[in-house]
Amino acid sequence: MNAAIQLEERFGARLLESVEFRSELTYVVASSDWVEVLRFCKEAPGLAFDQLDCLLGDHLPERTAAPFEVVAHLVSHVYGHRLRVKTSLTEGQSLPTVTGLWPSAGFDEREAWEMFGIVFDGHPDLRRLLTVEDFEGYPLRKDFPLQGTVGGRIRTDLRGKI
Amino acid sequence: MSAERPTLEELKERKVLSRQRVERSGEVMTVSMGPQHPSMHGVYRAVLDLDGEVIVAVRPEIGNLHRGVEKLCEERTYHQIIPITDRLDYLSSFVMNHGYCEAVEKLMGVEVPARGRYIRTIASELCRIANHIMWLGIHIMDLGTQTFFCICFRDREYVLDLLEMLTGARLTHSFGRIGGVAKDLPDGFDHRCRKVIDFLPQRIAEYERIIKHNRIYYKRAKGVGIFTSEDCYAWRVTGPPLRSAGVARDLRKDEPYSAYDEVDFEVAVEYQGDVYDRFLVRMKEIRESCKIIRQCLDNLPDGPFLARDVTHSLPLKKNVLRDSAAMIQDFYQVFQGPLAPKGEVYRAIEAPKGEMGVYIRSEGGAKPARIRFTTPSFYHGQALPPLVEGEMVSDMVAIFASIDVVLGDCDR
Repeated sequence: MNAAIQLEERFGARLLESVEFRSELTYVVASSDWVEVLRFCKEAPGLAFDQLDCLLGDHLPERTAAPFEVVAHLVSHVYGHRLRVKTSLTEGQSLPTVTGLWPSAGFDEREAWEMFGIVFDGHPDLRRLLTVEDFEGYPLRKDFPLQGTVGGRIRTDLRGKI
Repeated sequence: MSAERPTLEELKERKVLSRQRVERSGEVMTVSMGPQHPSMHGVYRAVLDLDGEVIVAVRPEIGNLHRGVEKLCEERTYHQIIPITDRLDYLSSFVMNHGYCEAVEKLMGVEVPARGRYIRTIASELCRIANHIMWLGIHIMDLGTQTFFCICFRDREYVLDLLEMLTGARLTHSFGRIGGVAKDLPDGFDHRCRKVIDFLPQRIAEYERIIKHNRIYYKRAKGVGIFTSEDCYAWRVTGPPLRSAGVARDLRKDEPYSAYDEVDFEVAVEYQGDVYDRFLVRMKEIRESCKIIRQCLDNLPDGPFLARDVTHSLPLKKNVLRDSAAMIQDFYQVFQGPLAPKGEVYRAIEAPKGEMGVYIRSEGGAKPARIRFTTPSFYHGQALPPLVEGEMVSDMVAIFASIDVVLGDCDR
């Protein structure tokens, strides 16, 4: 794949790992290289990934050193190829936003923040997206229970007053 | 030719001009539109900053229908997730089953038999027709006509009847299975389906006769809500809104799945990128869908409709109480579930509303470690600010309807 050759030429050992599974190519990069690699993917003429298909957070608690992951799926309308770029994060580590490259990352990053607690530096509007404003906890982390009453309590003290 | 097929630069210029029609006073008022507003198509809320009737800024608020689908999926086996995917886009739920099953099959390396692929294509296209007809009725109702809504719902009923005959349910089908579909085509389906797809293009012509040259519709839709192809890429707007901006992008052609590479159809493209062209694209798509279904019925291959894959798919129910091997397979599939290899896949398909992708990360067990549904409405709902800023409030209703957002799909 042409894209793979170009990326490897440009970044070399800074691409920490490359995996090919079911003919899908994945590159793992360091979180400090995140924006630079994605910017290159978007702007290099031979790559031209003009659309961010989705950006998501992930939690791998068994990997204690860096339990969080952010995964970006890129697609190019010029060449029709796809690419996946990943980075690993420790608890509390933040990642620069990519809303400047693809504005569509806005909701994705808000979702990753509210579901996993991954902070995106420079995001224009980092608020809760799908859950209520006073929700506590990060629901998609593996240690968050599937059943329970967190954030879903019924305010009996307000009965009859509203 | 530039009037018919404007270049990107011309379209950009037209977009800027169309959003400077009304003078502004400089006084801004904040109004909350939704979540109970009838033209918000569910529980979408838009906080509008208005200058007179001109929209200065929009802040979309979603999440009122959030059900935690992705968290639920992590606690279920791959078979048990199929009914959950129905509830994503409940207006075309088989397509959601289809996308999910394609992703799981890619992860597990399951081959779908030819008949299964054809039946999937037929069901998907029926869903697409039902979705577009429903869209049309609601879109026109938002612009002020009640009667046309009833006409559309009457015709959608014919398609839903077919889907009911095929799957047993009108809306939440749960018809896809890993490795094929749940049932074969029922007796008499072929005849009834042909009758409907012969008759639908005539109805589409009738819709177009009512709507296309209607002066009120023309004024409300032409040149309103222009979105160029560049904007579409930046905001991940896909499907009919992208194709109405002159991009012939259709995953059924570009990354074919099921039987789409074996049938002959055209990608519906229009060039003005406005509300009117989104209507034209969808009408074309209904015609193409009829064409696809007819070809699938003509060339329907014989053979199994569900993969005979002991480790990944369910056995036929009629064999379970007669055949011990099928019974063992049933126990294995129901109590443990199919095992997936370690790895991650992303598969996108062309849903009626846009590109719907499924990301699955498996750690090699019976349950996925992480699932993400990349649904079109999520991104279309996000793209509302660039679509409507500078337009009038009454046009926002038309524009929001034209991008076809369903909140089950958006909030997951």
